Amino acid sequence: MSEKYETHIKSILAECPDADPEAISAAFAKYESEFFIPPQDAMRSILRRFKGETTPTPSAGSSGSSSSSAPKTTRKVSRLSELKGTDREIEIEVEIISHNIRDQTIRGEQKQIAFGLLEDNPWEEDGEKNRWEYKDWGPNSNITPGSVVRIEGASVNEYQGKMSLNINQSTRIAVIREGTRPVTAPGEPQDISSLPSEGYVCIVGRVIATRPDQIHRKDGSGSIDIIRGRLADETGTIGFLSWEPLEHEVGTLLKIEGAQVRTFRDTPELNFGRTTKIEVYHDKNFADVDVLSKQTVLTLSELRDGAQDVDAVVQITEWAKRSFTRDGEERFLWSGQIADPTGRCRMSAWNELPITEDQLPLTVRLKGVRVRSWQGIPDITIDNADQVEILDAPPWDSELDLKNHVVEVPLHELSSGASRIGISTSAIVVSVREDSGFIQRCTECRRVLREGVCADHGANDGNSDIRLRLAIDNGRSSVSLLTNKDATLSLIGMNESELQDAINDAGQVAFVQSLRGKMLGRKINATGRTIVDEQGAMLLADGASMVEEDAGLRATEIRAQWRVA
Amino acid sequence: MQSGTTRAKRQPAWHMLASEFSEATLNEKGSGEYDPSFVITKLGAKVNRVVVAGLLERLEVRETSNGSTLYQGQMRDPSGVHYFSVGDYASESMRELTLTLVEKTEAGEPVLLLMVAKSRWYQTDEGAVYTSLRPEEACEIDAQQYALWLTRTCEDTLQRMKHFTDSLSAEPTREGLVAAGIPEHMVDGLLVSRNHYGEIEIENYTLNIMQALDIAEGRMEAASQPVAAPAPSADADADGDSGDAAAGSETEVKDTIVSIIEQLDQGDGVDFETVLTNTVARGFDRSLAEEKLDELSNEGTLHEPRFGWFRIVA
Repeated sequence: MSEKYETHIKSILAECPDADPEAISAAFAKYESEFFIPPQDAMRSILRRFKGETTPTPSAGSSGSSSSSAPKTTRKVSRLSELKGTDREIEIEVEIISHNIRDQTIRGEQKQIAFGLLEDNPWEEDGEKNRWEYKDWGPNSNITPGSVVRIEGASVNEYQGKMSLNINQSTRIAVIREGTRPVTAPGEPQDISSLPSEGYVCIVGRVIATRPDQIHRKDGSGSIDIIRGRLADETGTIGFLSWEPLEHEVGTLLKIEGAQVRTFRDTPELNFGRTTKIEVYHDKNFADVDVLSKQTVLTLSELRDGAQDVDAVVQITEWAKRSFTRDGEERFLWSGQIADPTGRCRMSAWNELPITEDQLPLTVRLKGVRVRSWQGIPDITIDNADQVEILDAPPWDSELDLKNHVVEVPLHELSSGASRIGISTSAIVVSVREDSGFIQRCTECRRVLREGVCADHGANDGNSDIRLRLAIDNGRSSVSLLTNKDATLSLIGMNESELQDAINDAGQVAFVQSLRGKMLGRKINATGRTIVDEQGAMLLADGASMVEEDAGLRATEIRAQWRVA
Repeated sequence: MQSGTTRAKRQPAWHMLASEFSEATLNEKGSGEYDPSFVITKLGAKVNRVVVAGLLERLEVRETSNGSTLYQGQMRDPSGVHYFSVGDYASESMRELTLTLVEKTEAGEPVLLLMVAKSRWYQTDEGAVYTSLRPEEACEIDAQQYALWLTRTCEDTLQRMKHFTDSLSAEPTREGLVAAGIPEHMVDGLLVSRNHYGEIEIENYTLNIMQALDIAEGRMEAASQPVAAPAPSADADADGDSGDAAAGSETEVKDTIVSIIEQLDQGDGVDFETVLTNTVARGFDRSLAEEKLDELSNEGTLHEPRFGWFRIVA
C-alpha cells in the first residue's frame, strides 16, 4: 500500500522526519477511500497533521505580531449545541450551506464581508444537524457552498438569544471536502423554479400580486405590518413576505438581492428584510403580468401543502354543510370532494357558496385560494365566496366521469409527490411481506393488532380482515403497496374460505412463499390512493391485477427501439 | 405507524445483469450506523438492491468458524455469474427455500431462480474488490418469467448505457449532468463512477444484451443448458440483413470478428450464429461478415475445432 503513495510520503517525511511512514500511508488511503481526496490534494492537510504531532507545543511569540503572544487554547467541538455565547477560539467541522459576499462600510471604509448559513455534523448523512448563521470578515476565498470545512479559531456571537459564528481574519479555514452544491455568484439572478429551499438568493421577477397584511405577535404585544404578494418569472412563481414597506405595484419588474428563501410546509417563500436590496429592473423582453399569471393556475396533481394564491378549475362532485362548536358558539363549514382530470382532493369553505346538491357535479374557477393538507391529501381552503366563479361547462371533455376517474401515474412521481386520490400505477413486485393474508384489526381504530394488542387501545379480540403487504418498484423508487380484502381475493383468485383453507394446509410461511412464486419479479397494476411522508410512499389499493406480458414480443420491441440488431 | 426508530426510505431495486454487477469495484457507505451501503457500477448505477435471475449453478453449505451455517451459491445469467450467500440472518422463508434448493442442485435438477437481493462487497488484503449478493426474497421461476426478467433487464441496461454515453459529453458536475438530461437517480452514481473507472468499454454489455434478447425471443436455450448448445443451422434470413448495415472496410470486419471471438470464447470456441449476429450488431453487412469469417478460417487466423465453432489459432 505504501508504494502507491511513495513520492507523497517522501515529501511528508522531508518536512516531518520523525513521522511514521505507515501512518502517513494510512492517512493518504483514508483520504482517498473515505473522502475521495487524491494524495496531491490531501498533502497539505496530512502535512499539518504530522507537523502538529511532531511539534506539540508551539513556541510562544513565533506567530505574527498582531496576535497575542500567549499560546491559544482551541476548544474543539463536534456540535454547535456544545457552544456557549462567550466561547472564543473554537474549532469545528461544518458544511457551508450558503456564502454571500456583501460590500459594507465599516468605520468609514468600504470593505467586503461574507455571511451565510453553516451546518454541523457534516458527515452523518441523515443525522441531526443544526444550522447557524455566520459572518466571515475575511472574507475567506476558500469558503464555498457545499464544501465541508474545519474552522479553527472562530468565536461565538450571541445576539438576542440567537447564536452565530464569527469567522475572523485570523481564523484558519481548512477545506476537507470541496463544494458540490451550485455556487451562485452574488448578484447573479436565479430562476424561480431552481431556487433552493433555504438560503439567500437574488432573483429578477415581476410582481403579480401584492397586498398589505398584519402579523400578530403571539404575546399579544401588538402587530407588525407586512406586505405579502407573489413574484413571477418565466419559470414559475413564488410568494413573498416583506417585513419592510414595499410600494411596488402589480406589474413592476424588480431585481431583488439578498432575499431569504424559507420553506413552510412544502412551499418555499421569499422573505425581504432590512438587508434585502430591491430595485426596479428594466427588461423589455420580460413576460407581462397576464402571461406570468397563467402560471398560478394549477392542476390538482400540482397542489402542495402550504401553497397560496392558487388558481384552479375544478369540478365539485360532493358538497355538504357541517356544523361544529367553537367557544360555545355554533359555526358552519362547507366541505366536499373536488376533481379535475389529474386527480381528486378535498375542498372546504368558511363561507356559504351558492351551490346546492342537485347542481352537482358543478365546474368552478377558483382564484387566490390556499392549500392545506390533511393526512397528506391536499385540501383547498376558500376564505370567501368571491374566490369562486361558477362555470357553465368544464374546459375538458364533459363526458369524463371525474368521480370515478383514475389517473395513471409513474411510480417515481407517486413516491416523491404529494399524496393523491384516484391514481393507478404499474411496477414490479419486489417483496411479499410475511404478514400478508389474514390479519386482526383493532375494534377501535382499525390498526393491525400485533400479537392481539393494539398500540393505542391495548389487548382486544379484533376484527378479521384480509390484505397483502407488498413492496413495488420501478428501479427508481419503491412504494409500499397494501391491497384491501376485495383486491387481495381477486388478485389471488380465491374466496375467503379457499384462502383460509390454503393457509391452514400450507402454514403461513409456505403460503406467503407460494405468493412469491406467483408475484415476485412480476409486474402488477394497482389502483387506489397514496399517503406520502418522510419514510416514503404507501399505496392503499382497492384494485390490483398482475400484468401479463409476452417476453418475445417485448424483446423484439426493445431491439427495434434501441436499434440492437 | 410503527413506533420508535425512524426508518429510511426503502432503496429501489435495479434489474441488472451479472456482468455489470460483478465488474463493479467502487462502493460507498455513509458514516451513520443505518446508512445504506452501495456498489456503484461502471454504468453509474448506485446499487443497494437488485432483482436478478438465472440458472442456479451451485449451492453448498459452509460451516463457519463461529458455528453458524452459511450457504454459498452461484447463479448464472447470459452475461456471467452472481455469487450469493444465505446465512442465519436471512428470513425463515429464505432459509427454508434454500434447503429445498440445495436438495434440487444436489439431485442435479436445473433451477431457474429469481431473487431480490442486497448488494455486498468486500476488499481483499491486496485491495481487490469483489461484489456478492444477499437474497432477501426469492422464488423459482419458469422460462417465460426468466425471459421477461431478461427483457426488463436488457431495457434497463440499455437505458443506463445511454445515460452513461450522454454523460460523457456533459460537464462532470451535478448541474452538468442534470442539464444533459440525466435523470436524478443516475446523477450521483455517474459522477463518482466516471472518476473511479475512467475510460471504460461498454461494448461487452451490448453483446450480453444481444444474447439475452436472443434467449427472450426463444432463439437459444442457453439458460437451462449450462453446456453450450450445438450450433444452430445457419438461417440466412433469420435476422441481421437489415438494409442500413454499413459495409465497413474488409479489414475492419475481420478485426471485429476476431475481437468478438476473443471476448466470447469460453474454451469451446464461439458458434457461427453468435459470431455473425454480433458482427451485424456492430453495423456490418451479414453476407460480408460470412465471407470474411470464411476467409479468416482459410488464411489460418481461425480454426474450427468442431463444425460451426470458431476459435482463434493460438
